[in-house]
Amino acid sequence: MTVQTASAADPAPLAGSTSGARRQVGRLWPLAPGLLLIGLLFLVPMGFMLVFSFLRTDPNFNIVVDPNLNNYARFINIPTYVRTFAKTLVMAGVVTTLGLALAMPFAYFLVRYVSRRWQRIILLAVVVPFWTSYLLRVYAWQAILGEHGALNQALQGIGLIDKPSALFIYNDVGVAIVLTYLYFPFAALALYAALEKFDFAQFNAAQDLGARPDQAFRHILLPQIRAGIITACIFVFIPILGEFLTPALVGGAQGSLIANLIVNFFRGAQYAEGSALAIVIAIFVTAVLIVFRRYLRVEDVVARG
Amino acid sequence: MADLTREFDRRQFLKAAGLAGAAVGLGGIAAACATPAASVAPPASTSAGASAGASAAASAVAAASNPTGTFNWMTWVDHYYPEQLSAIASSIGINVNLTELADNSDGYTKLKEVGGQLDMIAGDALWVPHYFEAGLIEAWDINSLEVSKQLYSIARSFEIWTKPEGYLGYPNGWSPVQIYYDPAKVSPAPDSWEVLLDPKYVKKVVVENQPVEIMAYMGKAAGVKDPYNMTPDEISKAKDLAIKLKPNLLKFAQQNTDTIAALISGEAWIATGNLGTETRVKQAGGPELKVFTPKEGTIGWMDAEMIVKGGANEPLIRPFLQAAEQAEYVAANFMINQRPLFNEKAYKLLINQGQKDLADRFLYNKPETVLTMTLKGPGTSTQGAIDAFNEVFGA
Amino acid sequence: MSSPVARRIDPVEMMPVDRHARRTRRLLRLLAALILVFLYLPIGFLILFSFETSSTPGLPITGLTLKWYEAMLKDRIIQQALFNSVIVAGVVAVVASLVGTMTAFPLVRARLRFADAARLLFTMPIMIPGVLLGIGLLLVFRRVLDVNLSLVTVIAGHLVFTTPFVVLIVSARLQGFDRRLEWAAADLGASSVHTLRHIILPLISPAIVAGALLSVTLSIDEFVITYFTVGAQPTLPLYIYTSIKLGVTPEVNAVATVILVGTLAAFAVGSLLLSGGRRLRRREAE
Repeated sequence: MTVQTASAADPAPLAGSTSGARRQVGRLWPLAPGLLLIGLLFLVPMGFMLVFSFLRTDPNFNIVVDPNLNNYARFINIPTYVRTFAKTLVMAGVVTTLGLALAMPFAYFLVRYVSRRWQRIILLAVVVPFWTSYLLRVYAWQAILGEHGALNQALQGIGLIDKPSALFIYNDVGVAIVLTYLYFPFAALALYAALEKFDFAQFNAAQDLGARPDQAFRHILLPQIRAGIITACIFVFIPILGEFLTPALVGGAQGSLIANLIVNFFRGAQYAEGSALAIVIAIFVTAVLIVFRRYLRVEDVVARG
Repeated sequence: MADLTREFDRRQFLKAAGLAGAAVGLGGIAAACATPAASVAPPASTSAGASAGASAAASAVAAASNPTGTFNWMTWVDHYYPEQLSAIASSIGINVNLTELADNSDGYTKLKEVGGQLDMIAGDALWVPHYFEAGLIEAWDINSLEVSKQLYSIARSFEIWTKPEGYLGYPNGWSPVQIYYDPAKVSPAPDSWEVLLDPKYVKKVVVENQPVEIMAYMGKAAGVKDPYNMTPDEISKAKDLAIKLKPNLLKFAQQNTDTIAALISGEAWIATGNLGTETRVKQAGGPELKVFTPKEGTIGWMDAEMIVKGGANEPLIRPFLQAAEQAEYVAANFMINQRPLFNEKAYKLLINQGQKDLADRFLYNKPETVLTMTLKGPGTSTQGAIDAFNEVFGA
Repeated sequence: MSSPVARRIDPVEMMPVDRHARRTRRLLRLLAALILVFLYLPIGFLILFSFETSSTPGLPITGLTLKWYEAMLKDRIIQQALFNSVIVAGVVAVVASLVGTMTAFPLVRARLRFADAARLLFTMPIMIPGVLLGIGLLLVFRRVLDVNLSLVTVIAGHLVFTTPFVVLIVSARLQGFDRRLEWAAADLGASSVHTLRHIILPLISPAIVAGALLSVTLSIDEFVITYFTVGAQPTLPLYIYTSIKLGVTPEVNAVATVILVGTLAAFAVGSLLLSGGRRLRRREAE
């Protein structure tokens, strides 16, 4: 998947095209199945969750209709939830930064120094990990980062450390590493799409005119790929807000994120309470998407044939 | 915690299936016609043409009297093994659509949603009467099943599973939660839940990833009598202990093998677990562990298969249980999953196979131990426990 | 990795070639290589563990064996789970591409007054955490629609987040689409069905194929939503999850390895066919 940046507007309306209601209906009917699907299978379920979030679960695990705001009050009154949410935002921010810091030179390298053919092969190689089980990939990281894992053995082998370090896993470091691993491809594809459109002649021209490479980068390149960077950020940052498996598997007792706390409620069959916390996240996500709605476009992945 | 005990160890399985196969092969001549299902050997021995013939004959017999078809079963993964199911399918023509159970509350809420779409579901201890009271399962006469005579008599008459309408499930296995530790690193020898909280053992403890259960342990440690029905005051005591537990935790184990791996490598020195953890650690080349039952008392589970009310394929359940609960399968299952079961005849089979020591180490001969445990079950303090857990283990 | 390419598109041509640039290039190449190692390290371990003798996948490797592949071939349950996953992914890909493509047309072309809102609506299912969606769907299936959970409900659940991806990808293609081709066809008297079939579909088909492939990729490994919407027939990720909880064996790694290799092969064949077809078309055009 390639995610993108700027967007070509719809070509100018066809001169002489008939307008009018009938024509409009004729053009809009193909929306019906999609709207039905999203309406029934997305909006209705979300509506349900919203309703649930105002109810409560009794000790028998039944949802009781007893409209109240207690589930939301929990989020505000118990500092854990706000703190964990804040921590989740920080984690998402760190992972987004790391992901971009890796993806930027990577995409730059692909676009500038690699032939078209190889660009595609390498991009494919970036996507291939998605075809294996998420769970198994995260499990494999346990074997790499653990106290007796491959990383510690390698570091000891080259003499960098003399006894195994427990710093890589079962804490926030482990979570950050694995999340960066999982979301790097999104950042790489989005930035690639943006850089690929950039005309590097401008960049060279600036340098010919005496700009230092970093100046050319900052004043010529960066402004033109800004949209791509924002898209990359969204596609990395937002999904992390819902991550609970990775923190559970490599975060240990210290690495919980907000979704873990929500899942604890659902696992204990406390649906109403869990719904409220989930709705808070959903509202936050929606707000971010509304603010950045212009950047939610996907690049034409096959444009270059 | 039932779900965490169930490790599917294939090497052990092959060994066990071989053993069971051999046992059935030898005893098979004598017991050839005991019951149709009993004569079907687990597949390790089906390579022999003779036993394949026998199972074909058995299926011919079975087909005459039993309904055939497929039913839907949601259960713990250690309640069956694949070869057992294929053997049953070919002998009596009953197939199974399996969904694996992850958690008692999950199974419960799922059954509430899907009802008679499932035909049989497994559950732990006090969850079983909870299912019944919600009108989700049948009470039935367990003694009407011939195979139930193989059970310890105590397993057919647990008070919590007895209702005027009948018995609530077909008993399977049990285990208390115990504490395991490496005596080379943990001293003096502990006897209490307190050892999990000792500041000497920072990042050396592993417990299962089950918020409600962890809070129940902490409740026990705090001297609470009923850790699933705690008062707010008791919850806050348990929470104070959980705060001390947090720095000591290396990780939450997602599975029993997680716990075992951490003990083998020496990453963890102390862990909670079901019966037999020390045996498995040793078998896998880990250190010699010691085990104790905390003096404050412990929590345990015992589980059963329940017949869902209004299940669409209900007529298949009893013939299936009659075939699947035969001692030969249960003994083979013990060798795979290693925890005490309620089938007494299978225990005797294990003795004949020279496995008495192993079985006794798992208290297979002492089912009455069950009566001394605080049983796992749904409680009124679930929500409070989760809140407290989240407060401790959130940021 | 930077093999020589045709002159007119070689970006290397355009850079100032000096020592500094060469050093940058070497550094970047090293970094890119390291990143690929980072991406493939866990996959390498995952595959390695599928050959592990002991029943706990992990380090140290005690010995190599093929027995897990044998076990996989005999394991009826794992095969059934894989089969269920393939069925689900297949149906999801077809329906998502169909509905997604239909949706993309008016979204791009009808100059909707609420275009941004519509785009937002079709993006949200991708972004909303799966737990939320899964539980919501379970409630709708049981309490509103009163349908039995089955692979059909799993498919419905997967459609919610795959269809939007197809919408996004096909929309992007339609936006870059040169409409003069259509107008020319209309001028030459082609009916709209004719134009759709012979002009529009061939041009946007790569985007539809990309959307379908993405749908398969997402559906095959989807766990959270499946967990809530599945009836009595588990899909592969669900099987993997329960076996991980209950003690994973390398058999699961063996299955994942086979799937990885299988998908790679399918993609290789697919892209060969696609590029072959494209070359053919190009030749026809010339």
